[in-house]
Amino acid sequence: MSFARELSELTGTDAASFGGKSAALGELLAAGLRVPPGFALSHEAFTRGRDEAAMPAAVREQITRHYAALARQAGVPEPPVAVRSSAVGEDSETATFAGQQETLLWVRGVDAICDAVQICRQSLFSVEAVAYRRHIGDTRDPAMGVAIQLMVDAAVSGVLFTCNPLSGDPSMVAINASWGLGLAVVGGEVTPDDYLISKVTREVVREQLGVKTLEYVPDPAGSGVELREVPTDRAAARCLDEPAIAALLDVARAAEHHFGCRQDVEWAIARAGSAPDNVFVVQSRPVTTVAPPAPAAPVSAITLVMAKFGAKP
Amino acid sequence: MATTAAAPSAFPSPFSIETPAGCEGWQQMYPYYAVFDERRRDTDEDRFWFWNSMHFPFPMPAFDVICIDSPYQAVGSWQNRVFAVPPAMGIDYRIVNGYVYISGNPVTDPAKIAERAEFFQARAGYYYANWTELYAKWRAKMEALIAELGDLKVPELPEYEPDEVAFREDRNTAFYEVLSAYGRALRLGDLMWQHHFEFLLLGYGAYGTFAELCKTHLPDIPDQHIAQMVAGIDVLLFKPDAELRRLAALALEIGVDAAFASGRTPAQIDAELEQSEAGRSWLAELEKVKDPWFNMATGDGLYHYYRSWLDDPRIPYASLTGHIEALRAGASVERPTAALERERERLAQEYGALLDPGTRQAFDELLALSRTVFPYVEEHKFYCDYWFLTRWWNKIREFGELLRRHGFLDDAEDLFQLTRHEVGSALDELVLTWATGGVALGPKHWPPIVEARKQLLQRMAQWTPPPAIGTTPEAVTDPMTIMLWGVTTERVREWAGQQEGGLVLRGAAASPGLVEGIARVISSVDEIAEVQDGEILVCGSTSPAWAPIFPRLRATVTDVGGVMSHAAIVAREYKLPAVVGTGRATAAIRTGQSIRVDGSTGVVTVLES
Repeated sequence: MSFARELSELTGTDAASFGGKSAALGELLAAGLRVPPGFALSHEAFTRGRDEAAMPAAVREQITRHYAALARQAGVPEPPVAVRSSAVGEDSETATFAGQQETLLWVRGVDAICDAVQICRQSLFSVEAVAYRRHIGDTRDPAMGVAIQLMVDAAVSGVLFTCNPLSGDPSMVAINASWGLGLAVVGGEVTPDDYLISKVTREVVREQLGVKTLEYVPDPAGSGVELREVPTDRAAARCLDEPAIAALLDVARAAEHHFGCRQDVEWAIARAGSAPDNVFVVQSRPVTTVAPPAPAAPVSAITLVMAKFGAKP
Repeated sequence: MATTAAAPSAFPSPFSIETPAGCEGWQQMYPYYAVFDERRRDTDEDRFWFWNSMHFPFPMPAFDVICIDSPYQAVGSWQNRVFAVPPAMGIDYRIVNGYVYISGNPVTDPAKIAERAEFFQARAGYYYANWTELYAKWRAKMEALIAELGDLKVPELPEYEPDEVAFREDRNTAFYEVLSAYGRALRLGDLMWQHHFEFLLLGYGAYGTFAELCKTHLPDIPDQHIAQMVAGIDVLLFKPDAELRRLAALALEIGVDAAFASGRTPAQIDAELEQSEAGRSWLAELEKVKDPWFNMATGDGLYHYYRSWLDDPRIPYASLTGHIEALRAGASVERPTAALERERERLAQEYGALLDPGTRQAFDELLALSRTVFPYVEEHKFYCDYWFLTRWWNKIREFGELLRRHGFLDDAEDLFQLTRHEVGSALDELVLTWATGGVALGPKHWPPIVEARKQLLQRMAQWTPPPAIGTTPEAVTDPMTIMLWGVTTERVREWAGQQEGGLVLRGAAASPGLVEGIARVISSVDEIAEVQDGEILVCGSTSPAWAPIFPRLRATVTDVGGVMSHAAIVAREYKLPAVVGTGRATAAIRTGQSIRVDGSTGVVTVLES
């Protein structure tokens, strides 16, 4: 079996080899959502163990071949890609591993990709990742795949939940959005715009504009990203317009419908194009922190009303 | 998660509130039992009283106190003595500097609660089971009451009684008729309040249960959507405006719309309409609509100065002018009832579909029950608060006019500066001196009192009442206080926070839970080692890299960050209360300060420096 495959070929059952993130991206593509194209490496591509520093030649060869295909698809020689860790067991319904493993953005060229892949793999053994696995009682041998995707040159990006992540309300979609690439929102480096939208009426139920003083943009030197300050007036400006919110609401409904459970979706809106065509999903995982309420035993209305008045039968 | 009740004395004692300058003696215009009195201090001081600003936002004129006594007599009768709501008796009130504070009487003895539950289930169950039929009877009862009020005559005091009194044995003299009419007017008011509360608690209870079910399972559902699912499409309260829309269309149709030029008074409009045959026919049509649909109040409240559209037609005429302009501009002024009906069903379907099957069944049943009770919840306002009450105040005004004619008052409206008992006393003297031919003291006695009270009311209006007084409750459990006034434990805590005057920061509620603790402000990751167990971390932003210390913290507060940052997600997984994006926590809070973090509302309060 090949240890490198197109994202579009992966399904949920590939999570055991390719990790949760890559498998979910394959599922999203199958669901017809707009996902930047790319490929994935399975954890079997690498020798087990943290001391393994060198990149196996066979893996490098596979990366070269798939990257060339991606370059043809993008129509540029060395297109920038995102290199994301895709740990086995992460993004399950019980634990997110949110932010525990590395993502490297705007990586160009085979050498840089190979370096980034190694950095991702080493993050499996970071202090925080080890502490987190201990917290959730995960005693398995850690294993990690990697996803490599074309970059979206994002004007705006962020995260959405297909429920309110705080209250658990399933009738709401919650969106956090900020300028530039998604790192600023997930890294908590800015106070993003915070929108709560009703799935039922599509209206914005609550909206709190953030002060988005920083944004990640591609490094002008050609690879990597740089953090830059956002001018005051733009920092306070609303970063999602109505068509973008409508497109994200549709993304939320589609992702939740496809996976059959509440999703936490990272998304990006490209500078070029207009909604919904420039709205991309870069990651989706089950929401772990709000369990849906346990199914209630049927209780008659009159019993509930009596209880409201303190008269329990 | 540790929770801490607000400090016991967050609110001022009712006995420590000072009388504003120039308001001395305000107590004299209120009943002896309506004020905080030293003889009742031991029980009153230990209770929680909140300002009923919903019904009584302004200082109470002396007569209007009847709209406190009567409703609370009625609500307590139904709630406590008829339905025996298990944990709650009735509502006590006290007046402070003219403002009304209320406090529920709880039932705390479990045996008593169980005993009351038996009554409640049988009696409330009967009402819910027969609601539609009982409500139809209620409407008939209210209409009969309103008719009786209309028929009630306030008699004249003639120089000579008419012949019938002399020659027929079943006639009474005017002294008796005046006193009897006044007594009957007061009793009709009491009856209205009795009817008002017959269904109200149960109606609100059913609706409140449905709303609670929605909010438990759909915590962010806007109240508006809950109301939309329940509210009737074609209800009584829309009828007055619907009639105005119809009249506006009629005015255009028969070509009299030009009379409604903007800037004209209702009298000027009427005068122009009187000039033409078409105009007169429109006015005749308006006359037919007025009763009952112009019995709308111009304000929403229980004060005598809220008149009806009949008394002050500026509001309906302004609406007519607006509807005519809209129709001329080609707009439709019809309510799209079919579309509203479809949207109501769609909301109910879509929200219902988000629930698990067991909850869905309760949702559907409660929605059906709520729709059954809701016509009463909406319509009692028209029958009681608008139709009856505006007419009742006018009936009382007739007694004011009687007193004015006989020199007891300078103006009929001055009656409302006297208590209902003082008015009874003035009428007693009036009919006495009318009968005896003696000299009345009233004309010298009452006008100065009226004048002094008008000034008192003006001065008391300058005072700002605290939201609550007395002892802070650990939790608000009284179902009526919560249902009717929305006074919940959270609301009381909010008020208490305002009273404490501590610094309050607001951010995004990133991870729920309410805790208090000592702040540790750190400016860089290098200082993370200084954090002590059980402290609240205050920092610029958090990183998932800090997760290893999360189990040692009581909460986190950050200057920047959103609820979907990785740090916020991890905080929720660790069940660590968090408020993010406060903007200035690291600048405003110092290490060692005691702070309260409410991760459910996003509020951080500095308790002490």
